[in-house]
This record gives sequence, C-alpha cells and structure tokens, in this order.
Amino acid sequence: MSSIWSAEIAELERRRAMADELGGPEKVRRQHAAGRSTVTERVTALLDEGSFEQIGSLAGFPDETGERIVPTNFVFGLGTVSGRRVVVGADDFTVRGGAADASIMAKQVDSERLAAAYRLPLIRLVEGTGGGGSVRMLERSGYTYVPANPGWDTVVDNLSLVPVIAACMGPVAGLGAARVVMSHFSVLIEGTSQLFVAGPPVVRHATGEDLDKEQLGGAEVHRRSGAVDQIVPDEPSALAAIRGFLSYLPSSVYELPPVIEGRPAAGDAESLADAVPRNRRQPYRLRPILDAVFDEGSVFDYTCYSGSVYTGLARLDGCPVGVVATDPYKGATMTPNGADALTRLVDLCETFHLPIVSLTDQAGMMIGLQAERTASIRRGARAVAAVYQARVPMAEIIVRRVFGVGGAGQVNRHRYNRQWAWPSGDWGSLPVEGGIEAAYRADLESSDDPEAMLAEIRERLEALRSPFRTAERYGVHDVVDPRRSRELLTRWVHDAYRILPELLGPPSFGTRP
Amino acid sequence: MTDVRAEMSASVFRIDASAGDEVAAGDALIVLESMKMEIPVLAGSAGVVKEILVKQGEIVEEGALLARLG
Repeated sequence: MSSIWSAEIAELERRRAMADELGGPEKVRRQHAAGRSTVTERVTALLDEGSFEQIGSLAGFPDETGERIVPTNFVFGLGTVSGRRVVVGADDFTVRGGAADASIMAKQVDSERLAAAYRLPLIRLVEGTGGGGSVRMLERSGYTYVPANPGWDTVVDNLSLVPVIAACMGPVAGLGAARVVMSHFSVLIEGTSQLFVAGPPVVRHATGEDLDKEQLGGAEVHRRSGAVDQIVPDEPSALAAIRGFLSYLPSSVYELPPVIEGRPAAGDAESLADAVPRNRRQPYRLRPILDAVFDEGSVFDYTCYSGSVYTGLARLDGCPVGVVATDPYKGATMTPNGADALTRLVDLCETFHLPIVSLTDQAGMMIGLQAERTASIRRGARAVAAVYQARVPMAEIIVRRVFGVGGAGQVNRHRYNRQWAWPSGDWGSLPVEGGIEAAYRADLESSDDPEAMLAEIRERLEALRSPFRTAERYGVHDVVDPRRSRELLTRWVHDAYRILPELLGPPSFGTRP
Repeated sequence: MTDVRAEMSASVFRIDASAGDEVAAGDALIVLESMKMEIPVLAGSAGVVKEILVKQGEIVEEGALLARLG
C-alpha cells in the first residue's frame, strides 16, 4: 500500500540497512578474526534486549563508488541496563580503524551532551584514536589548526555529574585513550585491547623504542600502572564489569544510590573471631573478611593496581557503600599507586554519595628510596586530603594497624565518624618494633646485658599496647567482638542513608580522573 | 610457564620451594619480609617450579620476577 511518504520511508530503510553493514563484510570479518566483536554486537550485548535507540545512524560518507553511504565510525544512543536508561557511545573499528577522518565529531560530542542534559550514566566503548587529527585530514583540509579536544568541556563536567564508565575494546591511542581515562571506572581486556598515548609506530619514531602494541600498552603494563581500573579476560567480562559497576551508582549526583533488597553475608560471622593471627608478623586473608561483612555477592573490586590498598564497592543490607581495606598478602604499606586508588575511591563515593566503610589496617605510606622517587608523601597526602574533603558518612573498623600519616588519615579523624576496633587493633604514631633501640640507645649501651634489657623493655611496652588501655581513655570509641561487625555496620548504614538526601548535588570539588 | 612476581618491595625472608618441586595452587614458594611482616608468595596454579630467581636476603622491587612455574 502506498502512502504519501512511502518512497522516503523506503529510502530511510535502505539507508539504515547500509549503516548496519558497518565498514563492510571484509572489515567485519577482520574484526572477528582479531578476536573482537563489532560495535553492533557490543551494544546489543551490553544493553537490555531490544532497548537500543540509535541517534544519527544516517550520518556517513559516500564510498568510492558513490553507491553506498559508509556510516561514521561512532555509534551512539540510548538504551537500558537492568531497566535503567543509559547513554552508550561506541567506536566502530571496521570503519577506517576508528580514525578521526571517518567521523563526524558532533556525534561524539552529542553523546556527552545527551548524558549531561538528561542526567544519565554514560558508557564509552572505545576502540581507535576516536578523535584527534590525522595526516590524511591535514592534506584534505589544506591547513593546520590549534587543537581543542572535542566536547572536552562536557567531558570534564560530566565527571562531576553522571557516572562515566569506559572500556578499551581494542587498541586505543591519543584522544581515544584520554576518553577511556576520563571516567569513574575503566577496563582493559587482556590480549585484545591496549591503551597508550601514542601507538608503536609513533613511539618508534619519537623515542626509538621498538615495542609492539601489547608490550607498549597491554595488560601487563597496565596491571600496575594505574591508568585503568580493572583488567578483564574477555569482552563479555568487560561488559559485565560495566553493568556491575553501574549497579552501585545513582544515575546522577542528584539522585540517591540505588538500594536493593539486602542479602545475608556469604561468609560466617564466627570466622571473624579467627580472621587476624595473633602473631603480628603473619598476614591475614582479606577476602573471607569482606565475605563475612558485606551482602552476599555484593563485593566489587575497584582498582587492580593499588597493591595492598584494597578499594571496592559493596552493599550492606542492600545499600551501596565504598570499601577501603588492606590486603596484607600484597604488602604492608600504602604505595603511591595505592594512595591514588584511595583518592579515586573516596572521590567516587563523594561524587555519587556512597557512604564509606574503612576496614582499617594501615602501616603508613610506603618508605624507602623507590617510594621517595615516586612521591610517596605527596600522593599519600593527596589521598588524605580527599578523605578530608569528602562529606559522605564514614565508619571504620580497625582490623589491625593504624600507624603513620597514612594510617592517621585513612578516615577523617577530625569529624564525627563511627569507629570500632577489633581486639587485634594495634596503633601509635610509630610501631614499637625498631623504635626501642633508638629510644633507649644510651641505656642499652651502658647496660651489662643489653639483650636482657631490650627484652624487658619490649615486654613492658607490649603490655601498654593493649587496645583496652586505649579504650579506657576513650582513645578509641569501642573495642568490639569481630563477630558483631556486620550487625554494627548494617545499623550504621541506615543512619548514613538518612542523611544522604541533604548531600545530593555536585560534589564538594570538581571530580578529576 | 607462569611468572611469579613480588607484589611489593621487600626482602627475601625465606625460600620454601626449589626447582623441580611439584606445587599445588596456594602453596607458599617464597616468604618475603616487608614492614616487619612475613608475606608468603603463593603459587597461582598447580605446576612444577622451573626456577627460583632470588636468594635469601635479596632486596626485590614491586613487580620483580621471583620464580617461574611450568
């Protein structure tokens, strides 16, 4: 049956179908051969079934024959993740390798503006350079320009407004790499994705380093670099991590975090009484503690590069919280990268109004030459500043050590926070070990039996170290049976959620990546 | 072949495994000492110890290769 606009409607369908062909069957085949999905497959897998509403699919450039419009290499639109509306923007590597000369930059900019205008989470699936210039473009335009990163005002502002989540879905360089890290959470896929400021050919030319993509910016580089938050084994895991991260956050700074029905902890509360060994030289396992404190299946690891500093998201009786703790199997002090991770977690929680739980065990900032060379003190102090700038409620359970500037600053000890210590709590401005010889040098040197004297002094000080002595002076709010930890935190989290509505709105500072 | 690396700057406190040993996932290969704590370095998977690349008392940086499992 013919209607007034039937010819145009048919043309519309023809053009849509052309867009669905992406860079053409040969390029799609190559994408699959490299172990990577197409942009269509990714968006479909990320979003709830049938929910994708594409914007600007008719934009493109005619191919050499003039018969076909090749779509631009950036696909974006709206969709839902677990029923929640989100904006998704994804690079299409099958069209000119995701390079800028096959793009219409306004689409990428609009994906950012859409998220900002409607206060919706933004998910970027980045693959390619995604923006900046290319030599081909220079020749075509015939002039050079002073660069401005496209839409960057919105990209920056979005960090203080809506959750921004990014994944490296293939090799990612330049502006594409910047779009990955300008996020609250980023993932890199082991083996099939790499992240760098500039790729191997540019690096070879500039510095003489002859490295392949994987050596320059693969998983092994970024597992410890701090450029991305998590390394995942494959594309489905990357999309699952994005959905998982989003589940803890509100859609914008103007809404409360999504509370779901609570679940009991998977771990046994009884186990907490045996979690920390009496011997201070022995590490404990962090995972069983997290499992016994937080709702079953709710612990989400945030930063992979932070060494002993564990950062994560979790739920208490269904309420999302940020978690900072220590994994003693990964070290005893806060490394500079660990400090950066703490800054990042606290800033995230302040931005999106998640209360913070600290399972404190902090021996202080990393010491030694390597630490000094990497600005241990300033990066540690920045983390402490982030803690002090946050207004969201905090609660701490002192699991073991609180020493040094790092330990003192893991929570803001100048505002009212709930605080409990396990009997394994051990604190002071400096640990006794190693300090005795320095403090009692003259006495020890003049002693007939310095060994015996040392042992005697140690025993005297050991008795003073009991957390009960601190509690007697109200130097710690309470020493508690570790088995009560979840019960206490669960009561606290509901108190905390009562005051969150007062805090809604932009964070106390402009969020930075 | 799996690389076993140091998670932190530390000194090598003790070596519990030697080349040729069969190990299960979670077995301690080496114990590092850092900030007055003894931190075991565990085998990530079952296998045979191909080589131990550090000596007792040696100082290692974060990320240093300690051993190889095959």
